[in-house]
Amino acid sequence: MKRYLFLMLVLMMINNLFSYSILERVTGNYIGNVDPRSAAMGSAAASGGNTLFDVVINPANLGFLPDGFGFQFSYDLMSDSDNRSLPMYNSFDAYVDDATYASNMNTFGKFTPGAFYKRNFDKFTIAASVLYRPFISFDSFYSEEVRNNKNSDFNGYPPIIAKNYIDSQGSINAISFLTAFTYEDIASLGIELSILSGDSDLERKIIWSDQALEMLNTLTDTTNTLNREFEALQVKVGTNININQRFSVGLSFSPKIEFDVKGDKDGVDVEDAVYVYTKFDSLNNPLDSLTYADFSSPMKLRAGFCYKPRNVMRTFLNLDIEFVKWSDVNSLYENELNFYVGVEHRLKNMIPIRLGFNYQTCYSLHEHEGRTFADKVTMPAFTAGTGFTFLENFNFDISFEFSNRQYEALDLFPDSYYDHEELWEYYQHLNLEDRGWENPDTVKETFINIQSSISFKW
Amino acid sequence: MIDAIKDVMKKLILLLLILISNTAFTKENVYLKKDGIFVNYDSLKINLVKNKKYTFEGFGSIGIERTHLSIIGENIRDEGDKPKIVFKPKFIKTYELNIKGFFKEKCIASQKFYLFVKPEPGLEEPGKELIEEEITIIDTVKAVKEEPVVEEEIPIEPIFEEEVITLIDLNTASLEKLKSLPVSEKQAEDIFNYRFYIQFFKSIYDLREIESIDQKTMNRLKPLLIVSHYDDKDEASQRRDEIAYLIERLGSNEGLQEGMSDVWEDYLMTPRNINKLPFSDILNLPNTSPIDAAAIINRRAVGDSISSYRDLRQSPGISYYGAKNIRYYVYYSEQILAKKIFIDYQMKYNDSPYQDDALEMFKESMIRYEDDPGTPGIKRQSYWGFFNMESDRTSIQNKLRIRYLNEWKAGCISYSSKGEENLLRGDNQDILKDSKYYIGYEKELDFLGRNYLKIYAGNYRATFGEGLVMENTDFYSPRKTGYGFNKRITGITPDISRTQEYALRGLALDWKRDNLNAVFFFSKDNKDAVVYDSNDNGKLDKDDDILSYITMTRRFTDDELESAEEYFNSFSDNYNQVSIAPRKDALEEQIIGGHFEYSPFIGTHIGITGYEAVYNRDFVVPETSELKYLLISVPLTDSIYAEKKWKITDNEISSLYSTRSDEVGDRDYRRVFGFDWRTVLNNTSIQGEYAELEVDGNFGKLGDDPKAIIISAYTQFDNLYLLSMYRNYDLEFDNPYHRSFSESERFDDTVFEKLTYALNNTLLNDMYLNSAQPSAEEGIYFETRYQFHQKLTLTKAYLDIWERKSDARRGIRCEAKLEFKPIHQLRIRLRHKHQVKRYDDDQDRNKSRADETELKLICYLSNFDRLQLGYVYATVLQPPYLSILSDPAQASGPDMAQASTLTNGDMIYVDYTHNFNENLKVIGAFSFWQGHGVSFWDFEDIELDFDQKDRGFKYWFNIHSRISSNLFLSLKYKYKQFLTRELEFRKFNVLPDPDEGEYYFQRVERKENILRLQLDWKF
Repeated sequence: MKRYLFLMLVLMMINNLFSYSILERVTGNYIGNVDPRSAAMGSAAASGGNTLFDVVINPANLGFLPDGFGFQFSYDLMSDSDNRSLPMYNSFDAYVDDATYASNMNTFGKFTPGAFYKRNFDKFTIAASVLYRPFISFDSFYSEEVRNNKNSDFNGYPPIIAKNYIDSQGSINAISFLTAFTYEDIASLGIELSILSGDSDLERKIIWSDQALEMLNTLTDTTNTLNREFEALQVKVGTNININQRFSVGLSFSPKIEFDVKGDKDGVDVEDAVYVYTKFDSLNNPLDSLTYADFSSPMKLRAGFCYKPRNVMRTFLNLDIEFVKWSDVNSLYENELNFYVGVEHRLKNMIPIRLGFNYQTCYSLHEHEGRTFADKVTMPAFTAGTGFTFLENFNFDISFEFSNRQYEALDLFPDSYYDHEELWEYYQHLNLEDRGWENPDTVKETFINIQSSISFKW
Repeated sequence: MIDAIKDVMKKLILLLLILISNTAFTKENVYLKKDGIFVNYDSLKINLVKNKKYTFEGFGSIGIERTHLSIIGENIRDEGDKPKIVFKPKFIKTYELNIKGFFKEKCIASQKFYLFVKPEPGLEEPGKELIEEEITIIDTVKAVKEEPVVEEEIPIEPIFEEEVITLIDLNTASLEKLKSLPVSEKQAEDIFNYRFYIQFFKSIYDLREIESIDQKTMNRLKPLLIVSHYDDKDEASQRRDEIAYLIERLGSNEGLQEGMSDVWEDYLMTPRNINKLPFSDILNLPNTSPIDAAAIINRRAVGDSISSYRDLRQSPGISYYGAKNIRYYVYYSEQILAKKIFIDYQMKYNDSPYQDDALEMFKESMIRYEDDPGTPGIKRQSYWGFFNMESDRTSIQNKLRIRYLNEWKAGCISYSSKGEENLLRGDNQDILKDSKYYIGYEKELDFLGRNYLKIYAGNYRATFGEGLVMENTDFYSPRKTGYGFNKRITGITPDISRTQEYALRGLALDWKRDNLNAVFFFSKDNKDAVVYDSNDNGKLDKDDDILSYITMTRRFTDDELESAEEYFNSFSDNYNQVSIAPRKDALEEQIIGGHFEYSPFIGTHIGITGYEAVYNRDFVVPETSELKYLLISVPLTDSIYAEKKWKITDNEISSLYSTRSDEVGDRDYRRVFGFDWRTVLNNTSIQGEYAELEVDGNFGKLGDDPKAIIISAYTQFDNLYLLSMYRNYDLEFDNPYHRSFSESERFDDTVFEKLTYALNNTLLNDMYLNSAQPSAEEGIYFETRYQFHQKLTLTKAYLDIWERKSDARRGIRCEAKLEFKPIHQLRIRLRHKHQVKRYDDDQDRNKSRADETELKLICYLSNFDRLQLGYVYATVLQPPYLSILSDPAQASGPDMAQASTLTNGDMIYVDYTHNFNENLKVIGAFSFWQGHGVSFWDFEDIELDFDQKDRGFKYWFNIHSRISSNLFLSLKYKYKQFLTRELEFRKFNVLPDPDEGEYYFQRVERKENILRLQLDWKF
């Protein structure tokens, strides 16, 4: 046991070193599910959730937990491998393929504790719960090397000119208070009130190497910072109805959340620091802008069902459809539907096998020729998991989620910054111009998410 | 009084018999009842003969007050002093007899039950006396009165009232009833949940499957329960269970038999009467030969009928495999699932990447020979970059089919291939337009004999003869013989396959009777086409002519293409503007066609097929001298570049059909007609088809137009078949609906395949990539299967010798598969393939030779688990290709061979199928290959995968879960990693400097993650 506690402690301590996707370093990564059972089932748990942390998806799930006291602790480990490549051309200047120039693989960890109590009053039951959970994560890390073209033939290693970093840390966490009312195991109504607070520190650095400084001593390192603090309240409501013993439906709704943001970007107040422009007049002059202080979470409406058929293995099929009103966040975004489907089979020895699939969409903003565009990025995920019971009342669950996505992005550190003749061997052959959207980076990201939890029911 | 004495005497005699037979045994399970009454019981297992009447009689000894006798699971019981039941078993199985009774309050400690069985008929007749000699004692049970035993923790509640004995049926009792059993509330709920969520009880011993029920509890419950036969599966589910593996096999062939598996699945679910099926419908069943079909019709012709599968097997001339394959598609006397509406919904999600050839097409630059060759490349100058195809959406298919028996049918499909708009996104009107749907009616009518009628409105599939005139599918299948697994369903069938370009939409009528078959079809649909700037106005518009049909890998909309072309044109000089491009739905095609068939005697027919397609725009193929400059972009510095690149094989392009030319004048149609025939002589079937494409305008005259002919003979023995086939297709026979046997697809080796980088528009590559038409060739093909011995079979061997018409290149391809089965659980398969192209001229620079040998070991394990191990070794003598690099001596050199090279590669693979139970199956596979330029085809669970050149590995697993009796889920994940040639280093936009040798072609790895999800809902 000591060993496990130590391991847990170490994981929590190095939490700050972990990171997630660089794409969402400003907008943050939403953490929609912290329960490994439903995570293994594609995160489909608007109905049929039977562990405490399924209340994150639908607060009404609290109403169908067993009577008495229980708690759950989960740990989420996310690994992101980010491969950034640029287009390459053959001797006819024809595009051949993309070649990877920077690979980053980072791991990110978050934990969630929670407890509940449920009491029966004749036909009614009342349940209450409190959770502390990550809501949005800003953790991400990126590094790349800029190398000279000297000695790059015949397998020689070209010297480093500069090292570039993007380091983002912080998260918005939620302290959630939930209550649910259930009538005769037929219907439940759940309400969640969360206090959201957190911060984010983003740093972008270009550090020249000693060798570069020797070649050109006027070079100075560059550091850009963005520091923000967030605060908001979230209200979420949900309901769960058992139509019959085989079929139940669930619905949850969370309205748009507007965050109060304080902080600065390179010393300028975030209220005054423009992030992107979203509207232009007929002459292409920018009109309306988003600043770094504009931070909101879209309205989400999620509906799902749980089907419990007769099967030689005890089986649960969950399917959710979620409507995300992305236009709440930005007028350039389109509203989207996300899909979640999962199945749980309990084998003869009651060991569950869980499988799932989900398909989610998110957005990123970019600028092209002075205008702002929104790029839709879709991400399918395949999930699997299992669990077991020990010491009668304890459950251990584990899930594995694999997902990947591809998108185009602008060079994070444009080339013209390194346009100093002294630094390069064959300067006459170089064309150190910034690559625009005619030659963007192709980014391929692979996520592996492992969640585990221990839950206890009295 | 006398009766009582007789009774006592009988019992004494029986007691004596018991003592002699020494079969009495004691049971110690005593249960406390209220008011001091005890009950004892036992159950005995007995094997009974089917359909024979048995009489059971039981009674207790003097201390037993009343006896209860029942047969578990049969809902038969009797109670009293001497209960008696008569039972006629329907099945051969072990039945369980249950006997129990109540103790009298003051009785002796040891009591017994007696149970007798009388199998002879007569005893069941009322009023007949029991004759001792006829009575067989099968067992006795000794009842023991003990002190009351109180079980720990479990409160024991009275179950039986003294007056009434009620047994609880585990399969029908409510939860409240189960709670009245002497079990805890949780145990009762567990029993209920087991029945409700897992399965109905087959026997009382299933209780032990429940975690909370131990042996003691079960023993206690046994006398209180009965188990009736109960199942919630309807007939359709049961039928689906029976044919599950056949449906799975049909699904596996989906790629090759696009759309046909639905038709076969329907007939599997609702078989048709073998005694009424016409010849062509029998022949349309999978793996059925004309000889098999004739064998069945011949039997019926003499007034005989087929009453069972065994009877079918006795039909003279029918093959073992023919009968075996037919058996599940037909019924003999009683229709299965007589009245039912079937609904099938299917959703498929697949995020497989584009095939390599398509990737190359999209990634190729669209900018040709700029004035300043030093301009850095721009990714947006390719379709890949312009449309950001890196993040192309996945392909999604939604398919719904509804039918009432085989009579009323309707269905629709919405299929969006990778990158296209799907149901949830995009213009709904466009999506509806691209969706396919049908409604149809099929009926056997008694009107002046037996008639078969089919009417389809919407999308339908029409196939006749050998596919020379009409077979409308987008998918090319090499060596499609029409036999075995390469079957074609002739006639009219509904079509909600992925076929888009060659889909027919309209009305089709198919009428058959004993010796006649008439089909009429009409279609009006818009087709994608290659449009070129024929009027030289610098635009691709509706006034321009059409070069050909085209099946696009991704169906870009016209707006998308126009914006891309505008962007590309902004970089190119005036000579190399985009002047030819595909356009979606550019051509309106209206088809009227028909087929008439007369069968003078069984197995013989002669048929005529023809269609006329009328177009709203002209197909005009420019003269070759212009065509080459239209298709190939030319640099300013080399005005005869197109001449150099144009090869003799490109005749296949210049021989495309024109509706307007100097020879034929101006018209707006294409007419194809032909005739087909078949005759079955003993165990040989000879068939063929001849077709002409009308070019000279003389419709009635044979032999004056481009033509195509195919003739085949098929001979069948019990352990052998032999197929011989001759085909000869003219180069000018450009029938877009031609899908007959061939070795390669049209435009193989033309500029459409080999010259992507120089084509005016790289998308023309699709002309070859998705070509469904056979190439013009003449050849002879032999195929056989021979079972030497029960343990040794030549499963398939073929030899094809052919000549390509466009350049007279001759080729040979042969393949043989041998299977050795030392024991049933083990199969060893050896396969060898040999192919030579241009075998007739050793000096030809285009000569190539490939050999491939595969050894596979298949182990069938218990519970239908399976393990496969395989090894493939291949060699390829490659013809020389031009290098895209100028200096082969440069570091890491060119990536293409400069001279003929013999390369070799091998692959090893393993796959394992594990069945957790009948509802959960996992298939996993791993393969590793060292290609060195050789490629491998790998047949995964239900799809073919083309493994890349060079070194790589992949693994995949597929989970099949049957969630309920009508809901199926399949989830596949594949990871593939292989070496490829790709520029690896960041170039920092360094311009090419040959002296410095900046170009680094480094072997790097490519990784692919693929997810596929399929959901089937059938009810």
